[in-house]
Amino acid sequence: MVTYILQRLGLALLTILAISVVSFVIIQLPPGDFVDTYITNLAASGSAVRAEEAAALRIQYGLDQPIWVQYWKWLSRVATGDFGMSMEWGRPVLEVIGDRLWLTIVISIAAILVTWGIALPIGIYSAVRQYSIPDYVFTLIGFVGLAVPNFLLALIIMYFGFKLFDLNIGGLFSAEYQLAPWSWGKIWDLTKHLPLPAVILALAGTAQLIRIMRANLLDELRRPYVTTARARGLPEWRVIMKYPVRAALNPFASTIGYLLPFVVSGSIVVSLVLSLPTVGPLLLRSLIAQDMFLAGTIVLLLGVLTVIGTFISDLILMWIDPRIRAGMHG
Amino acid sequence: MAIGSQFLARLVLGSALVTGIVPAALAQSSLGQSGLVGQPEGITIIADPAQWPKSFNEAPQLAELVKQGKLPAVKDRLPQDLMVIKPVKEIGKYGGVWRRGFTGPGDNENGNRINASDRPILVDHTGASPNPSLAKAWKMSDDGKTFTLNLRRGLRWSDGAPMTANDFVFWFEDIYGNKDIVPTPISDLSPQGKPGRMVKVDDYTVNFEFDVPFFLFEDLMAGDTLIGGGQAVRQSDKRSHGGYAPAHYLKQFLPKYAPGGLDGANAAAKAEGYDNWVARLHFKKDWSLNPELPVLGPFKTTQAINKATWVMERNPYYWAVDTAGNQLPYMDGVVMTLAENLEVLNLRAMAGEYDLQERHIDIGKLPVILENQTRGKYKVHLDLASNGSDAVYYLNQSYDADPEVAKWLRNVDFRRALSLALDRKQLNEAFWLGVAVPGSAAPGESLPYFPGPGWREKWSTFDQKMANEMLDKIGLSKKDAQGFRVRTDNGQRLRLQIQAVQAFLPWPKISEMVADQWGKVGIQADVRDTERTLAMTRSGNNEHQIMVWTNGGTELLYLFPRHAIPVEAHPSEAFMGPEHGKWFVSGGTQGKKPEDPEILKIFDLFRSAAGQKTDGRIKTAQEIWKIVIDQQYGIATVGQSSALMGVRLVSNRLGNIPSRNCIAQHCRTPGGAHPETWFYKN
Repeated sequence: MVTYILQRLGLALLTILAISVVSFVIIQLPPGDFVDTYITNLAASGSAVRAEEAAALRIQYGLDQPIWVQYWKWLSRVATGDFGMSMEWGRPVLEVIGDRLWLTIVISIAAILVTWGIALPIGIYSAVRQYSIPDYVFTLIGFVGLAVPNFLLALIIMYFGFKLFDLNIGGLFSAEYQLAPWSWGKIWDLTKHLPLPAVILALAGTAQLIRIMRANLLDELRRPYVTTARARGLPEWRVIMKYPVRAALNPFASTIGYLLPFVVSGSIVVSLVLSLPTVGPLLLRSLIAQDMFLAGTIVLLLGVLTVIGTFISDLILMWIDPRIRAGMHG
Repeated sequence: MAIGSQFLARLVLGSALVTGIVPAALAQSSLGQSGLVGQPEGITIIADPAQWPKSFNEAPQLAELVKQGKLPAVKDRLPQDLMVIKPVKEIGKYGGVWRRGFTGPGDNENGNRINASDRPILVDHTGASPNPSLAKAWKMSDDGKTFTLNLRRGLRWSDGAPMTANDFVFWFEDIYGNKDIVPTPISDLSPQGKPGRMVKVDDYTVNFEFDVPFFLFEDLMAGDTLIGGGQAVRQSDKRSHGGYAPAHYLKQFLPKYAPGGLDGANAAAKAEGYDNWVARLHFKKDWSLNPELPVLGPFKTTQAINKATWVMERNPYYWAVDTAGNQLPYMDGVVMTLAENLEVLNLRAMAGEYDLQERHIDIGKLPVILENQTRGKYKVHLDLASNGSDAVYYLNQSYDADPEVAKWLRNVDFRRALSLALDRKQLNEAFWLGVAVPGSAAPGESLPYFPGPGWREKWSTFDQKMANEMLDKIGLSKKDAQGFRVRTDNGQRLRLQIQAVQAFLPWPKISEMVADQWGKVGIQADVRDTERTLAMTRSGNNEHQIMVWTNGGTELLYLFPRHAIPVEAHPSEAFMGPEHGKWFVSGGTQGKKPEDPEILKIFDLFRSAAGQKTDGRIKTAQEIWKIVIDQQYGIATVGQSSALMGVRLVSNRLGNIPSRNCIAQHCRTPGGAHPETWFYKN
């Protein structure tokens, strides 16, 4: 058991390192660098930059050195906990991300809870009452939810929210709390703004989980042990909840690993549309601006989140499924 | 006002004409009758000290600080040489915070423009006549070699320190003169490549001295230029120009003055997390990042631009009062909230979440914006620009990757035919809601540089028949089975590439329509929707065939020539011929000399203008425009529109708002309208 965990940890570290190399290379792939983007922006606001000035800026940012030197410098700083300065924001990378990380986590957890809250009961219901009218209705809704791009959904909901209920456009706080320090009032304000993005982010994943739950449960329901349990005279809800549902839960646990990074990066478009102050839009922005340290750190963070998530889901799987536990000893 | 030159006088007269022309241009569309386009109006500066107020008032917050002994009395904060402003409509009252949207740390122009009065000279609401700002007067010597600037006596920085000629000399010697900060001299101070000098005459008088006549310097000082632009825009975002800087604050960061010299300055920078002293200085002199920095504009930053909100409060030492003696600004401050994308910003504007917003507003949303006027409690104004075209198709004259294509791009009749093939009316209706003026790239008819009657239409009307005839005649008469003209070298279809960036306007979509229209005369054009940085890199490398961009700014030809004539090099958006621009800028040592005698003629005319007096400069500019339009290096579509910063949403609560704004780079929209005089009525 301990060796298993150590093994996983070692693999996790290697994975993260590989991710950091790949991400750094990917960030460098597009032509030009941060200074080019910066000059373009300056030109857009009517300022001229000369080639000599551009060269001076490159030296200042260390962009005149080869990629591998830049990478090594960055990595050795990261090892000491110094993630560098964001070129675009002019602040330490950790500070820039830190502002947004907590809100990202809050939204992610809310979205995951909503996904499960909708998908689990519906999945169970439509498996148990297969081919019933509600099964068809939920399936239809689920597929529509999957098919409609969620940024479009966000736009539509936002428009009607504004038109009919005079809601704020996007964001997580009302104007009066935007600048205020944290207080109960601000937390309540956040709670009021949370459902909309949480539901929109949740809907995309819901259909998939409904289908997985339904399919898995259908497999399980046909197993002999279910018949045995029924024959023993257990109440129906207990027959279903205690054994087949538990077995069918595996996919839920194994997808935790992907949920964390999904909510950070997979939801960029929704976050942009809803103007959520989360890490997603920051990542997009830093990639466009080729702000290497910021983008590199976020990608690294995503990698770490995925690895941690996968690790957690392995542990949960071990806990909910005795067969996996047994497999480890074997 | 010594600079009240003929050039500017004509521009003033011109603006009166503009108001006569605009309704006619709008008459075709329903917008014309909607009353959205107002009359230009602006503040008046009271120059006669006899009419100045004798006693002064201040904002309640400042009065409280004075009472606590934390701030000197208002009369001691104001300069001897007051700036007395008569607002557009009435005396305002104190209070209120201006809510506005911005798009992130790169959007510092959003706030720089609000603080536009921090330059020696600022144009008035017509965009034509220079008004005193930090300087109370100025004069160019008769030989054009000495320009004298008279500063207001008793000016103070926002921390209370006096602002004098020393701050100008400090900038010139220690910022501009330091190669680590500013690697190359600027042309604004180096006529014909000969560096000029800045000399302190006394505490409030500065001379700019040149070896050769440099009459253009008057215009440069009054424009949004590297030398005349002031602190907010020219020293933020790692820029280091602007003509003056707060010496008493910035000296501590320079190796020359820092304790411990270079090592001391670098060590202090490292201790604060900067790589070196230059990086630290770039941060410290940036008003949008550093709340400690002393400034001269009406507002100063209290929460930096690199947070989710950019917050500013009033400058307690602002040097202007209204005619009743109230120290400006009226508003307590500005709060800009970060919008992660432009759609959200536009939606929020329509929801009435901003009090005044013209930046980033999309003209394509005008119908929805109007529909929500009552609900959002705002009024919509349409302000009109004076540049000739919002989408110009620049044909790269130095392109050489495909000799066949290059041959045609350099053929004047080919270019003219492409221009005649454009149905500008269709473009106008589809993308500008019919509010723009179709025609050539020339600046507005009323402006002195407009070359004259007939030049709006020259080669810029819709004539498919003539376009076809011209293309047939120059040797492109052969067509393929689909009706497209074929190359003369290998008989394949002739394909042109249009490089289009999704930036200020939906240029890729506009280009699709243009390509379609060219298709009707048998010219195949492929639109390449390119990311902006990539597009700039490609055109810097001379790789583009045709690039689409606005020619905004070219109405002041000498101050912003890059989108009218190829006299600038990469990275300054040299679309018309990057190699020719390089050749011009380097004085013939780099790049490629143009073979086209007309381009060489443009170069000569442009070079001669800096030493000419106003009348001569106007004639030269008209000559240049005539060549540019006759040669069609850039094919213009429609212009003089509200497309960029021209759709203005103003809260019903705001007072003293001009019914029309000047839309131009040098007007610093909306700052040229003096936001310090705007106020909340309730």
